[in-house]
Parts: sequence; structure tokens; C-alpha cells
Amino acid sequence: MPDTGIEVRDLHKEFPVRDRGLFGPRTTKTAVNGLDLDIPAGRITGLLGLNGAGKTTTIKILATLLRPTSGTVRVDDLDSVADARAVRRRINLIAGGERMVYTRMTGRENLWYFGQLYDVPKRELRARIDELLSLVGLTQAADTMVERYSRGMTQRLAIARGLINDPAYLLLDEPTLGLDAPIARDLRRVVARLAAEGTGVLLTSHYLAEVEELCAHVYVIADGRHLAAGSPAELKTATGSLGTVRVTVPQVPPAVAEVATRFGATRTPADGGGEILTLRSPDHMAGPLAAAIVGAGGAITALEIKEASLEDAILALTDGTVPGPVVLA
Amino acid sequence: MATATAWRTGRATTLRTWHMTRRAYPWTYAVGTVLPAALTIALGYLGFHAIGGGETGADFEKGSGTSAYLAYLAVGATAFQFTVRLILWSAKALITEQRQGTLGALLIAPATRLPYLLGFTAFAVLSSIAEFLTLGVVIGALGISIPVASAPGAVAGALALIVAVFALSVGLGGLMIAAGEAHISQNTVFIVLGLLCGYTFPRDYLPGYVRWLAEAFPTTAAMDVLHGTLTGGHTLTDLAPRLAISLLLSAAYLVLGVRTLPYFERRAVERTY
Repeated sequence: MPDTGIEVRDLHKEFPVRDRGLFGPRTTKTAVNGLDLDIPAGRITGLLGLNGAGKTTTIKILATLLRPTSGTVRVDDLDSVADARAVRRRINLIAGGERMVYTRMTGRENLWYFGQLYDVPKRELRARIDELLSLVGLTQAADTMVERYSRGMTQRLAIARGLINDPAYLLLDEPTLGLDAPIARDLRRVVARLAAEGTGVLLTSHYLAEVEELCAHVYVIADGRHLAAGSPAELKTATGSLGTVRVTVPQVPPAVAEVATRFGATRTPADGGGEILTLRSPDHMAGPLAAAIVGAGGAITALEIKEASLEDAILALTDGTVPGPVVLA
Repeated sequence: MATATAWRTGRATTLRTWHMTRRAYPWTYAVGTVLPAALTIALGYLGFHAIGGGETGADFEKGSGTSAYLAYLAVGATAFQFTVRLILWSAKALITEQRQGTLGALLIAPATRLPYLLGFTAFAVLSSIAEFLTLGVVIGALGISIPVASAPGAVAGALALIVAVFALSVGLGGLMIAAGEAHISQNTVFIVLGLLCGYTFPRDYLPGYVRWLAEAFPTTAAMDVLHGTLTGGHTLTDLAPRLAISLLLSAAYLVLGVRTLPYFERRAVERTY
């Protein structure tokens, strides 16, 4: 089977909606409107957008839970509708907001059961269960009923469930939702390792730092439409997202004030005396600004640099500040 | 290959359900479930002796083929209790997954739904054995003896009933998840089957058009075989046409249920998008 990745072409999904009661007029709501996506093997691809953008619907279509109204989804050249069972063997879904495991079974029993549903070879299943329980840090709680797990433990088990069939493609819908920071960090490491070993990953997350850390390529969507695509750095550059430089100076002689004016920095009083010069700029201007202040005879007591964030870029794209679609690499 | 995969799915589902049920309910739950059937038999016993004077009317004998009313009632009440249990397990399997947040995990797995549902049915059949034993104690305590005209026929009738109820459950389960509702649908089915299919009284008591409607359910012919080969004095050969009708109707319901289930599953997912 060729690893051609997941190819989404001109994907549309409409849902029938009754606006008023059981017998109200029936209308349709468009959740996905002409999406094209490529999720190759060995890469973590991000899918970002505000609430209601169509991310979860898209992921559910890729997971074969929903059928597209039109358009195609091909997984390693298999059609996700016509060859749904074969596709299901190659994918798995981890959704942060859903439980997806049985509470009246132990962690080990859950993985055993899903191993049967995925027809994992018997000779491999026991070892894989032990490996996955270790991976998500549940070895000690393997034989405890899930109803006694904390929310984080349940989510970690759901992650292990999503890996039981050693999927070629992993769909992650808010996978770190509700997880403690160390567990979320461990999950990110696992996802990065899986991608390095050849798994294709599609990730949606409200934690944009997570997306920025993991994703080599990001799609931004709004109202089910494609807005932009590219690496996080490319998106920030394309949207003109601004980094921030904050320089604290003990005093502002006229020459330093002139520098601040020239660079377009704003001046605010600092706690404990002096002033803070704040500069928002698309470029890395900390060096030139600091050099100019010192060159003008000023002194610097603190220098803080905050790079442009992916969040700024996404907000710029989705609020229409930057007209889409922006297609980069 | 496909058979082995289906076997794994069915067996795993039976084991899973066994573990989960054992943990969720005390053993007394199994006793509690037979009480409605025990009550039906006990009330029938009282009515038979207090009102009927211990004798059946000619119309009952004509419709049922026996004068052993209490034996007829015991067989019917037990079969109906089993029907209810099987529907509660098999038809509600998917909506229970939906309610506990595991439907998505099940639907994205490559396992097909038929062996999964058969796994539930196997559990229901096995767990019902314990219930039948409890019910047998009640029947024995009331001094009711069940004549067996044809043991092979009775076994065939019981198997036909299992197949019939399972076939009905597949489609019903689909309707339940698509509508997101179980109580009205399941109880409507219980009422319809209980009144129409000749479990505890002969269908001759029903109006003619209702009797025709009853023939649309595979459980009706299955109950004819079960009653006929136990209390009715018939052999399996006598009732082979009724057995064939039950199996054919079951096959039709099963095909319809299996064909429509994927649509209902998608509707269930869409309903919560």
C-alpha cells in the first residue's frame, strides 16, 4: 500500500437543521465548504480556526464517522467512503473532549477490547498493551477500573486506545484538553516521535503554542473555508504579526526620547522609577533599538523580547484583518 | 479471515459485557429481572383458579391446542421475559455506547456491527439461563408442569425466537440511536410484541386484521413453534412451515436492519455535530 498520505479535495459537508421545533422548516448548515488538505506520512499537520470553523466536522469525516456531502477523502489512495473499513485500519482518532473508553473496565481490559475490534494479531496484542500503558504512564493503574481514574488518566488511556492499531495516520482533536502540563508535554513528545517514525498526524488544538511547537504545516480555516496554509513562521510573516520589544530605562534624556520617537516606541512609566519603551515590530528590532539607546547615552536596566505569536496570526486571518486565502509553501 | 475477525469481535463483546454487567449490578439484579414474569404467572395462576375454577374455556383450547392454560402461560411469560431481555441488551447496545461516550470509538474501528451485536445477544442468552432457572423455581413452586410434545421442536422454536428477536433488535437499535431515544421505542415494541405475537394468550382472541398484522413479526411464528411443540402436542414436522416463515421473516428483518444501520449511525453522529 503506497504511503500517499491523506488527500482531501473540495470537501463539503452540509447538515440538515430544523430551526424551530420538530416540525419547523428544514434548512441546511454548511460546516465544511470546499476544503483541500494534504496530510502526508511523517509530518504533523495543524488544522486551526475559531470555534465553529469546521475543524471537528472535518476530522470526523477523515475518521469515517461522517460522510462528505461532496468531495473526496483518500487515505493512501483508498476512498474513505467506498473503502471505509480498510481506511479504518490505517487511521485512529483521539478526541480530547470525548471519553471513548469504558469506565467499568480496567485500562488493560479497554485496550484488550479495542485490540480485538482492530484485529491486532494476538501474539502482538499483549506486548502492545504493556507498551502503550507504559507510554501514557498508566502501568501502575493498568488493572484499576477506569471509573476510579482521574480525568487526566482517562484521557491518557483514550490516547493509548488511539494508538492500539499502530495507525499510519493519527487524527488528534484537542488531544491535550484537560491534561496536566507534564502529561500534555509527554503527549507532545509522543506525537513528535510518532511523526518522526513515519506517522502522519493531523492536529487541532486551542493551545496554539502546542501547534507552533509541533506542526510543520498549518491550515487555517473559517466557516468551513480555507483561509491560509503554511508553516507557523510563514503564517506569522504573511499576516504581519508583530513581535514586542520592551526596554526599561532608568531615565529618558532628550537623545533617548528622540530614539524612541524615531523607532515608534511607546513610553510608559515603569514600576520603581524610569520608563518602559515598548516597540511592536514585525522584525527583530531589539538589537537596533538597544544599540540606539546606548549610543544616545542612555542606560538599560531590562530588556524583554516577545516574538510574534501564531495566535496573533490566526486572529488576524480569522477576523479579516488579512484577506484570505493566503497560500504559502 | 473475515470469519475469524468477526468471531474475535463477538467473543470480545460478550466477555466485555459480562465484566461490565457483573461490576455494575449485584447478582440480585438477575433475580429482580424475572419478577415481572413470575408475577404474570402467579396472577394467571390466581385468576385461573379463582375466576376460571381451574378450567379453560373451549375457545382457549381451540386457539392454543391445549387445555393446560398454566403451562401455556408459563412458556409464554418466560419467552416474553426473554424477548424483553434480549431487546434490552441487543437493541440498546448502540444507544448505550452513545450515552456513555464510546460510540465514536466503536464506529471508527474496522470491526463490523453484526458480530458486535451478536456478542451482546450471546451474553443476553447466557445470562437469561440463570434467570430461567430462577423462574423455573417459581413455576415449580406453583405446581405447574410443562408438557414437552417434541423436544427437538421446542429447541428449534427457542432458537427461532432468539433469531427473530435479534433480527428485530438490529433495526430497532438503529432507530434508537438515530432518534436518540430508547424508552418510548423499546416499550412500544414490548407492548406490540406482547399483545400481538401470541406469547401469553392465543391470537384468536385478537381482531382479524390485528392477527394479520401479527404475521409481520417473526416472533409470532416462532412462538407458534414453541407453544405447539411444548403444550400443543405437535411435532417439529407439523410446524416446519411456521418455522420456515419465522426464519424467512427474520432474514428479511436482519437484512433490512444491517443495510440501514450505517445510515442510522451516521445520523446519530450528525445529530451531535
